[in-house]
Amino acid sequence: MLKQILTIYFKEMKEVLRDRRTLLFMLVLPTLVVPLLFNFMFSFISKAEKKAKTETLTYAVVGAEYLPELADHFANSTGFESVSLSSADQIRPAIADGDIKLAIEMTQGVATGFAEAKQVEIILYYNNASSSSKARERAKAVIETFNEQVREKRLHALGIQEETEQASILEPCRVKVIGTADDREYLGERLGGMLPYLFIIFAFIGALYPAIDLGAGEKERGTLETLLLTPVPRNRLVLGKFMVIFTTGVTAALLSLASITVWLLTKGQQVKGTLGSVISTIETTDMVLIGAMLIPTTAIFAALLMCISIYAKSFKEAQSYATPLNFLIIIPAIMAILPGVELNWKTAMIPITNVSLAIKELIKGTMDYTFLVAILGSSTLIAVMAVLFCSIWFNREEVLFRE
Amino acid sequence: MIHVRGLSKRFKLARKRGSKDTKLQKIKEDPRLENRHFNAVKEVNFDVEKGQVAGLLGPNGAGKTTLLRMLATSLMPTAGSAEILGIDLASNPLEIRRRIGFLSGKTGLYDRLTPREMMTYFGTLQGIDASSLRRRVDELIEQLGMSDYADRRNSTLSTGMKQKVSIARSLVHDPEVVILDEPTTGLDVAASEQILELIKGFRDDGRTVIFSTHHMHEVDRLCDRVVLIDLGEVRFDADLQEMKAIDSSLDRAFLKLIGQEVTYA
Repeated sequence: MLKQILTIYFKEMKEVLRDRRTLLFMLVLPTLVVPLLFNFMFSFISKAEKKAKTETLTYAVVGAEYLPELADHFANSTGFESVSLSSADQIRPAIADGDIKLAIEMTQGVATGFAEAKQVEIILYYNNASSSSKARERAKAVIETFNEQVREKRLHALGIQEETEQASILEPCRVKVIGTADDREYLGERLGGMLPYLFIIFAFIGALYPAIDLGAGEKERGTLETLLLTPVPRNRLVLGKFMVIFTTGVTAALLSLASITVWLLTKGQQVKGTLGSVISTIETTDMVLIGAMLIPTTAIFAALLMCISIYAKSFKEAQSYATPLNFLIIIPAIMAILPGVELNWKTAMIPITNVSLAIKELIKGTMDYTFLVAILGSSTLIAVMAVLFCSIWFNREEVLFRE
Repeated sequence: MIHVRGLSKRFKLARKRGSKDTKLQKIKEDPRLENRHFNAVKEVNFDVEKGQVAGLLGPNGAGKTTLLRMLATSLMPTAGSAEILGIDLASNPLEIRRRIGFLSGKTGLYDRLTPREMMTYFGTLQGIDASSLRRRVDELIEQLGMSDYADRRNSTLSTGMKQKVSIARSLVHDPEVVILDEPTTGLDVAASEQILELIKGFRDDGRTVIFSTHHMHEVDRLCDRVVLIDLGEVRFDADLQEMKAIDSSLDRAFLKLIGQEVTYA
């Protein structure tokens, strides 16, 4: 029995390894795409952040005459360049055209209020659609230092000179906030959702082309019938073919995982700041566990793709059936990114979602390892059932000889 | 050698929306259609003795391919029985597959394998041990004149070469019975000639052959007996000479047997 299965396996693997398209999806893309993507992403993020923090911000003050102290304070702050606007009506078009990054508007009321030592309101304009913009943050920092100076003068004038006395008035109840999540957990929650998605997609893509070739491709070429006429029981044919699709899917998933591990051990160590320190806490054991969880998930993909491929009459038809399956796989993978979805005994039973959530937990460093039993067990059970279904389907004439 | 008794095949038709499907339209007009079931082959009986070459004739859609697929065990009959080499088709299909060779004009090859690799693969699946298989593959390469391209990828071969590789694949386990479904379809004159010579060689080797064809000159040249089916039923089953007795031209005899008017001399 084993000899027949292995004969089919090795012959199919030989054909797969002679096919450029499969090699591209199984070996080249997973090995190269992930590190390239990470390099691009991290260098882009750090460049954008650096630019936002250090670039010179052009600004305008409309009504500077009502509070010249604040206008001077802006003019003396580094990283700001003044542009003159004649009226408040020009502010919005100037921001939209990119002539200025921010604007301050002051009115007559500001002058009288400030002279009477009252609280006054000034208006800050900026483009809040730009997520990378630091204009608001940097302008508020300038205004805050101005406020501090004015505040201190006014308190002195009231005879409140001690710093602690000033603090008790300004902030009678001070809140000290302590976040219990460490940096790894905090960043893992934000970045950990993306990684499982990548691994899962590579497992699927790695299995996709060989699956179509081994079922629908054989039908189209007219080789399937010759195989059916060998004295090999059909469940063995299914097992031999399934093992090939599974191998290519697992290879693609594990290669993408290995290339990320290598990236983390080399380039990842060069990433500075909190992100760099988080990357350095991810251990090789975490990556091995991720690999272990991807194996039964890939088996599910391999079996489902094979069912589709056996059913389809042609390569093209199989591709059109596989496209919606691709979406069906992305949806549970994306669920791990959604807020409020966490790994528990229920979600640990949902294929793909369970692996996505577990990978996120592993990256966060908060994995409860007892869930591994449920994740591996449920995924393996579903994979076995899918292979059995495939085997039953492979014995049906109306599936094999659909016309 | 081959004994077929009341063999039938009934297909359940899949529900298809729309009436533009020409295949479905044709089936709708076919008298074999019965309550969303299609009787492709109906109570077929015939015998082929050892060493005989039997021609399976019939117009397009007569049920020839379905009948041959049942004999080759890729389709299971819905009624009736058949014995090949004394082995019952329904109860022991794996043993039948060990003893027969099957080839169709539509059979393809694994493009990324060489003819030698392909023969070795099918020989291994037939359970032949490695050293005997090597000898057998070399023998077939020699016998079919494939030495020049035995180690070239199948994708680089011409149609005639590919058909030879298919024949070699079907003969690798040295079958006693060879079933051929329109083996010369799509081949040029030279390649067809080579295939016909091979079939002749099968008879000389003592193999039993059943092959379907639309070419009466092939029947005239090779067949000992003829089985003609139309609309899934046997219309004629006799020696070639008996068919010739109907009309000296086999084409005209064929048309007469299927009830078509002969409009030429």
